[in-house]
Amino acid sequence: MTGFLIGMATVVLIGAVAIATLVTKKSRPPITDVDMQGSPSQARGYVYGDTTAPVQIIEFADFECPACGLFATLTEPDVRSRLVQTKQAYVRFFDYPLPMHRNTWDASHAAACADEQGKFWQMHDTLFANQDRWNGEATSRPKSVFMGYARELGLNDGQFEKCWDDRKYQKRIASNRAEAERLHVSQTPSFIIGSKLIPGALGYDEIKKLVTAAAGSPPVAGPTTPAGPRPLMAPAPRQ
Amino acid sequence: MTKRMLAALIALVGLFVALYLTLYKVGVIGELACSIGSCEAVQTSRWSTFLGLPVAAWGLAFYASVLVIALTGLMERYEDSRPLALGMLALTAWGALFSLWLTYIELFVIRAICQWCVISAVLAVGLTVVSYLDWRELRAWRATDG
Repeated sequence: MTGFLIGMATVVLIGAVAIATLVTKKSRPPITDVDMQGSPSQARGYVYGDTTAPVQIIEFADFECPACGLFATLTEPDVRSRLVQTKQAYVRFFDYPLPMHRNTWDASHAAACADEQGKFWQMHDTLFANQDRWNGEATSRPKSVFMGYARELGLNDGQFEKCWDDRKYQKRIASNRAEAERLHVSQTPSFIIGSKLIPGALGYDEIKKLVTAAAGSPPVAGPTTPAGPRPLMAPAPRQ
Repeated sequence: MTKRMLAALIALVGLFVALYLTLYKVGVIGELACSIGSCEAVQTSRWSTFLGLPVAAWGLAFYASVLVIALTGLMERYEDSRPLALGMLALTAWGALFSLWLTYIELFVIRAICQWCVISAVLAVGLTVVSYLDWRELRAWRATDG
């Protein structure tokens, strides 16, 4: 019985210490300064908000990544209403499709093709809010799901389908991905606010703090709108 | 050490594993320590909840129940209790089957593995084996005694 009691006490002690350590440990990888010079000209991302706002919030995300989905559905509405619509910041989204997610490239194509018709952000929100209906564990053929979203969003479905089938924006998505790799983004979502690269999902309060700090710092050169046929515009009001 | 003592120890280890996953699921722990596999993919999938509660919370209840039964079985008046041995066997067998089903979901549906879930599945299977041996021992003892 004594051995048993010692064993139980040992397990309790080790378990309690381990749990306490894991609860209190700072698990987020360190925030680093980032060099934003020399961005590939093709990597323009997708902009939400007024680009004359003083701070740019860059997000690198994978449409199939669950943490990105949680950020998009829980935190991003606050960022838009409290920081973007008040013109304190604007958001630039870069796709960072990761190899372990089977349908993420297909989703990036759906978003890019929706962008062609001015509804990137509506498609972005729909994709993130419904990840479990089109992701790699739900289906190996997500096209029909995306076509349904295109119709729901009022897109020209013939144009959308041709764009998606042709992989029309392959280069654009690849450029966005390359930008993430160039900046050594290690996980999704990750953010660049001011000159800081912050890995991992952020809460609204953390973003607000970083935006406030960045607004007080000298501006940092970042990905800029390239000269091209279509200027990056603030999106239409959300439905 | 008796088999019930061993069951109590295994259940206690499982309790901490389930507690860790539950704390992650309810947002107390921001990130899982996951050196092998993809714990996040599993823990945020739609399979991570069962009947409206996180699977990890069901695991917590499972291990707590087994721990209570095993400790009760150490009391002198329940030492040769057949219902207690059978109850522990039934509960642990159900837990093991459920864990094996979840492991199947991880491997073939989610296509990601969560090391903590695998550890829990191994513990659940271990508990079933120990419970079976306990029940068999009790049955043999009763046969000899009777």
